[in-house]
Amino acid sequence: MTATAREYTPEDANALVQEVADRSGQNLTACYQCRRCAAGCPVAEETGFITPDRLVRLILLGDKEKALVNELVWRCVSCYTCGTRCPNEIQTARITETLKKMSEEAHRSPLRSKVAHFHHSFINAALRRGRLNEMEFMGTYELKNTLKDLVSFRFKAAYDELMYQAKFGLTMIKLRRMHYGFLSAKGRGEIKRLAKKGRARG
Amino acid sequence: MDIAYYPGCTLQASAEMYDLQNKKVFETLGINLRELEDWNCCGATSAGKINDFLAVAMPARNIGIAESTGLSEMVIPCSACYSRTLVAQHQLEKSPDLKADINEELSKKVEGSIKVSSILEVLLTTVDSGVLEEKVDRELKGLQPVCYYGCILTRFPIDVPVPDNVENPQGMETILRALGVDALDWNYKTDCCGASASVNDREAATQLMARIVKDAVARGANCFVVTCPMCQLNMDAFQDEFCKQHGIEERLPVYFLTELIGLSMGMDIETLQIDRHFVESSKLLKELNLV
Repeated sequence: MTATAREYTPEDANALVQEVADRSGQNLTACYQCRRCAAGCPVAEETGFITPDRLVRLILLGDKEKALVNELVWRCVSCYTCGTRCPNEIQTARITETLKKMSEEAHRSPLRSKVAHFHHSFINAALRRGRLNEMEFMGTYELKNTLKDLVSFRFKAAYDELMYQAKFGLTMIKLRRMHYGFLSAKGRGEIKRLAKKGRARG
Repeated sequence: MDIAYYPGCTLQASAEMYDLQNKKVFETLGINLRELEDWNCCGATSAGKINDFLAVAMPARNIGIAESTGLSEMVIPCSACYSRTLVAQHQLEKSPDLKADINEELSKKVEGSIKVSSILEVLLTTVDSGVLEEKVDRELKGLQPVCYYGCILTRFPIDVPVPDNVENPQGMETILRALGVDALDWNYKTDCCGASASVNDREAATQLMARIVKDAVARGANCFVVTCPMCQLNMDAFQDEFCKQHGIEERLPVYFLTELIGLSMGMDIETLQIDRHFVESSKLLKELNLV
């Protein structure tokens, strides 16, 4: 099956390229599609058609929808292999990180909700006390996932995950790798004010 | 010698033994680690996916605190904390506006240029000076480790000076050589373990970790050596699970570099808390008569 050719609108494409370039700090137009990034991408088998070079191409073509919603944006592990090897010094992992934020701002539901839940739970927990508490953060993360499973009637998945985490937690306790009590930084107010400033800047 | 020390959250929780090992090993080497007062979370790999300003601001507060000690260097053993702090420092240097904007909220402002070092950089100075070799008390005969660096110890999102070869780093090998241990050459030393994907995208992460173990086994390794607590937890905690899924029979202990240094200095399993690993890690040491 052949896909319908995309209609190219220079104004839309330029606006998208500019926004991604400004926010990620990457010069996307320097990409000459050598695919060295794709060759080294450790999750290329998982991301299907979209490799780092193709993601850059989608943006250059102004296909915002596909650029925001694809497996690479949500499964990129930010290992920075692509950018380290890129002859034009384009760090695609910075682009996937930027697109995650843009996707959220555009109110698109994340292709992989667990990934979004993870990073939000992490930062919320870190901001709450100034230091990260692994149990608090993992607790809120698992709760968000379980709720999503339950409202989607995925009861088996919710149960399996609960059992998996319970087993893991018990081993952590046995090995004395579970931390009890709360870590905190007294000066967390400074970080909270900075977070507010950051949100205002987008 | 005094040096500023940023442990980070993980070294106070699931990798608590790494904090303890660092303190013991550095003390023996004559380096006094001075923990930053009231440090905060660096934001790790999550902050950059939520808010770019915050990703610089979180480590910036720690840099300000570190500079206020008057010390010239800060060591950060965790790869994520090290990477985030080093990157933030360079971004602040590059952008005076951003720095002013962040400094406005900080009681201890970023003004100077304290050297942010990885654990390897500091340990390598003790190799050069001969101090590390002097402290070797026990030969680690029979250990055939592969050094696993992971991603962010050598690869950065922005251009920062990297003190080692990016594709084939040698820092850990050099340190082990000073202990009389020859690490094996292999292909996956800077490959990704999946980091947080082990939690939020298990399928992808297990695939990555299985490849790493397969190559180590094929090379004849009997253990891994790491400095990153995230790599350690992933490769250790999930090894049994992903090896079963991928038909790998062998299980390799994932030692922190500080565990091998401590052992060669004559410390025992209990002192270094090597009994807190998921993969049985004391047995190999006993079999080789290293403890």
